Amino acid sequence: MIHSFIALLPDKCTSCMLCVRECPAWCIHLDSHTEEVTDAGARRPKKINVLDSFDIDYSLCMYCGICVDVCPFDALEWDQHRALISDSRADLTLGITQLTSENDSAN
Amino acid sequence: MTRYQLAEHPTIEVEVITAGLACCTLEVEAAATAGLLLPVSGEQISPAPSILVISGTVTDALLPAVLAQIDRFPEARLMSFGACATSGGPYWDSPPVTKGIDQFADVAVYVAGCPPRPDAFVAALLDLAHSGVAP
Amino acid sequence: MTAVMAMESVPVDTWHERVHQVKQRGFGFFDFLTAVDRNSFVEVVVHIVREDLSDSYLISTMLSNENLHIDSIETLFPGAGWHEREVGEMFGVKFEGNDMQKLLRHETLGLPPLRKNIVLSARVVTEWPGAAEPEIKQDGRKVGNPSRRRQRPPGAPESWLQQ
Repeated sequence: MIHSFIALLPDKCTSCMLCVRECPAWCIHLDSHTEEVTDAGARRPKKINVLDSFDIDYSLCMYCGICVDVCPFDALEWDQHRALISDSRADLTLGITQLTSENDSAN
Repeated sequence: MTRYQLAEHPTIEVEVITAGLACCTLEVEAAATAGLLLPVSGEQISPAPSILVISGTVTDALLPAVLAQIDRFPEARLMSFGACATSGGPYWDSPPVTKGIDQFADVAVYVAGCPPRPDAFVAALLDLAHSGVAP
Repeated sequence: MTAVMAMESVPVDTWHERVHQVKQRGFGFFDFLTAVDRNSFVEVVVHIVREDLSDSYLISTMLSNENLHIDSIETLFPGAGWHEREVGEMFGVKFEGNDMQKLLRHETLGLPPLRKNIVLSARVVTEWPGAAEPEIKQDGRKVGNPSRRRQRPPGAPESWLQQ
C-alpha cells in the first residue's frame, strides 16, 4: 500500500463530518445540505444528506490517514501516487473532481 | 550549490541550493542518491536555472537564517518542499513555527506531501526548468 | 527496565537533600527529570536508578503556582541540568543553582507552552471546519441547521473559546 494520496468516492460519502472533525490538521472542508426523498412504496419521505463540496488542503495534509480510518462508509481511500506540484498554494486544495479523477494532478 | 542533470531528461540541468531544515530534506537527498538526479561536474558554460529548496519546518527562531539564505541567492527561485515549509503542516497550531515561507518570500513552486516523495521533487525541478531560466 | 520502583513525594525544601540521600544509597544513575501540570500546582519528578538496574526511585515534589522555585540537582547528577532547563522552558519552573539557559525555545517566546493555562491561539483564531453541519435547504438556499448541538474543536477547551 502506497500512502501517497487520499481519494474520495463521493457516492459513498454521507456527509457525516467524521473525517472533517477527526483531521488533526483541520485540512478537510465539507459542505452539504439535507434533502427529502420519497422511496417508492414508502409512507413518509426520508431525509438524506447531499454532498455539495469536499476539499482537502494538501498544503496542510500530513497523510496520517485518520480520515481514511474513521470513515464508516469507506468513502475515502488510499490511492496511487500523484505528485502535487503547483505554483500557487491555493491550487493545492483539491475538490471533489480532483480527488476522484484518477490521473489528474494539481497542476 | 550543486548542479544536477535530471536522469530522465538528460538535457535539463538545474543548480540546486538546499536549505534543509527537517525530515523532508531526506527525500530531497534521496532523489540524488536514488539516481533520479545526476551530479554534473566540470566547467559549466550554459546557464541553468538555480533553485533554492526550502525543505522542512521553518521556525520563527530559524527564520532570519532562512531569509539570509534566500537573500544570498537573489537569482534563485524558491521551492517550498513539503507541508511544513508551505503552511506549517502538522505544526500548523504550534506557536514557534512559521506558517509558510511564502509569507516572507515569493515561492515559485509548492510541493505538497508530508513528506513528498523524491520523484515529486524531480517533477518540481522539471516544472521549474520548463518555465525557463530566471534572468 | 527495573524490577522495583519506589515512589515518594517530598516537600520542596527537602528535595535536594532527599535526592542526595537516595543517591548515596546506591541509586547513582539519573534516568530523567520532568514535570506535570496538575492545574493547582506543578509536580516535579525525578527518576533515579540503582547502578545494576535492579530497582529505582521516583521522587516527586509539588510546587505551588505562585512559587515555582526549586533547588537544582545538577551538582548531584550533571545530566539533570538539561532536563531542568527543559522543564524551565516548558513549565516555567526556576531551578536555583542551574544557569537556566534557553535550551530549545527562542528567547522572545515568553510563556511556558506546556502549562495548561496557555491558550494555543492558532486553534482559537482558525475557523474549525468540523463545526459545519449538513444544512437545511429552503427555497433553493441554505438556512443552516439550528437544531444540532454546537460542536467544539478538539484540543480547544471551552474556556479558550470564550476568551
